[in-house]
Amino acid sequence: MQPAGYSAPRRFGAVNGRGLWTLYRRAFLRFCKFAVEGTLGQVVSSALFLTVFTLALPERVETLGGVAPLVFLLPGIVAYQAFHAAFENAAFPVVYDKLEGMMGDVLMAPLKPWEIVVAYVGAATLAGLVTGTAILLLGALVVPLPLASLGLVLAFGALGCLLFALMGFLTGLWAEKWDRYAVVETFLVLPLGILSGTFFTLQAVPAVGRELMRFNPVFYAIDGVRAGFIGSAQAPAAVGLAVLALLCLALFALCWRLTAAGYKIRA
Amino acid sequence: MVNSQSELRSEPAPLPGQGLRPADGAAAEQATIGPRDLGRVNWRGLWTLYLREVKRFLNVFTQTIMAPMVTSLLFLAIFTLALGRGNLKFGEVPYAVFLAPGLIMMQIIQNAFANTSSSLLISKVQGNIVDVLMPPLSHFELALGFAGGGVTRGLTVGLAAGVAMAIFVPIGIHQPLAIVWYALNASVMLALLGMIGGIWAEKFDHIAAVTNFVIVPFSFLSGTFYSIERLPEGWLLVAHLNPFFYLIDGFRYGFLGHHDGNLLIGSLVVAGINAALCLLVVRMLARGYKLKP
Repeated sequence: MQPAGYSAPRRFGAVNGRGLWTLYRRAFLRFCKFAVEGTLGQVVSSALFLTVFTLALPERVETLGGVAPLVFLLPGIVAYQAFHAAFENAAFPVVYDKLEGMMGDVLMAPLKPWEIVVAYVGAATLAGLVTGTAILLLGALVVPLPLASLGLVLAFGALGCLLFALMGFLTGLWAEKWDRYAVVETFLVLPLGILSGTFFTLQAVPAVGRELMRFNPVFYAIDGVRAGFIGSAQAPAAVGLAVLALLCLALFALCWRLTAAGYKIRA
Repeated sequence: MVNSQSELRSEPAPLPGQGLRPADGAAAEQATIGPRDLGRVNWRGLWTLYLREVKRFLNVFTQTIMAPMVTSLLFLAIFTLALGRGNLKFGEVPYAVFLAPGLIMMQIIQNAFANTSSSLLISKVQGNIVDVLMPPLSHFELALGFAGGGVTRGLTVGLAAGVAMAIFVPIGIHQPLAIVWYALNASVMLALLGMIGGIWAEKFDHIAAVTNFVIVPFSFLSGTFYSIERLPEGWLLVAHLNPFFYLIDGFRYGFLGHHDGNLLIGSLVVAGINAALCLLVVRMLARGYKLKP
């Protein structure tokens, strides 16, 4: 018999559904709180890139990758901004929670390590997709964008966002200070994001670079998203999906093990 | 001495050694402790403030120097790749050669602004701005110390970006004087603007908004990436009203010997703006706008 006033310990099934949902919702609401400012900034930077490229392109260049330059550029920029948002919204909360000492509250809750990873990463992936959609809708007002296959766009968009969210989570675990977060952002995410065919076709790259690009998973993600819009891909979609899915699985496993081991989050 | 007057004005209790009559017994000892005679300019104070501003950004040089350098290289890469692997010519020069000075100037603009604005804002938010306001530094010396740090950051980043790009792009020098003049004016202008921003802002959001919605767009859309001859008729006038355009155009002239706008007008415009901004900043510091209660 339990003494009066005490309830029996709660029992969960294999998954603590309510706990997972609560943590997920908290992470996503955090994004929502700054969504307008954050997304607005990214909209402005996308618009700047589009304007600058249009003005810098010589008049004789009428097509890029078989379509009008703006139609080629917009999907790439949208994908890049979405991925960047996913990274930011995964890394930022983890570093913040660590520095503010709130990580303990998350670790104390009856959540399994994989549930913690899913909540943080899942919310960041959704944040990336929301940001991408917002920029896309605004961009589509200006650029007449075709849509060849919604399925491809969603599949590659979601996998790309997931990849960057997992990278963000890892960065968050690794970073003890904001400096480290900035280092990863400047020296890994930014180069990966914009040197992966966001702004140019594979043909524009010298031969050596072309070979390197085939080993760059972000290239497949951006190319896949673009192919979903313009209908012509530079790499086979199946290869891209396989590469991204495997990489996401591997990174998820790494996140899960590190969280379970308490890497830099448990004293 | 003149400088410390304003600081003393509102003090309720007299400070030791200042305005206190030495007590009888301690007269001999106290006599040696008087107010320091600083002369017309508090050189040591000014130098200390300047040094703090410089060390502040050198301390995190990966973020403040390496990151802008990498960013400018990335921009160089994507723009030359996207616009056709160097076959593209702007006037007589390859596009990369045209682009490089613009990218250097863009980094000078963004970093000079970031240095002063972040320094002032962080000091305000953390409350240690009083440590800068309390010492016997005049408003002019305060302005000079902060702006000096911003100018140093701007020029350092500009130099770093220039050297990095020179590895990949044959950057020639046509008129060194123009390069120095415009680099200096750009750094001063943006350092002062950064001070105004930092003094005005109350939260990091405010300064992020100014950076994202004013400084970055202006530095992008002022001829960094394209010759303004490409602009539609009506926008040509707008471009000439934009002070950043003169900075970039004049700076590029120093490298290429080619310019879109009038250099004399450009020089006068930027110098005039800098003089006006300088007055404004000193005035803001003198009145203690958003700095003193």
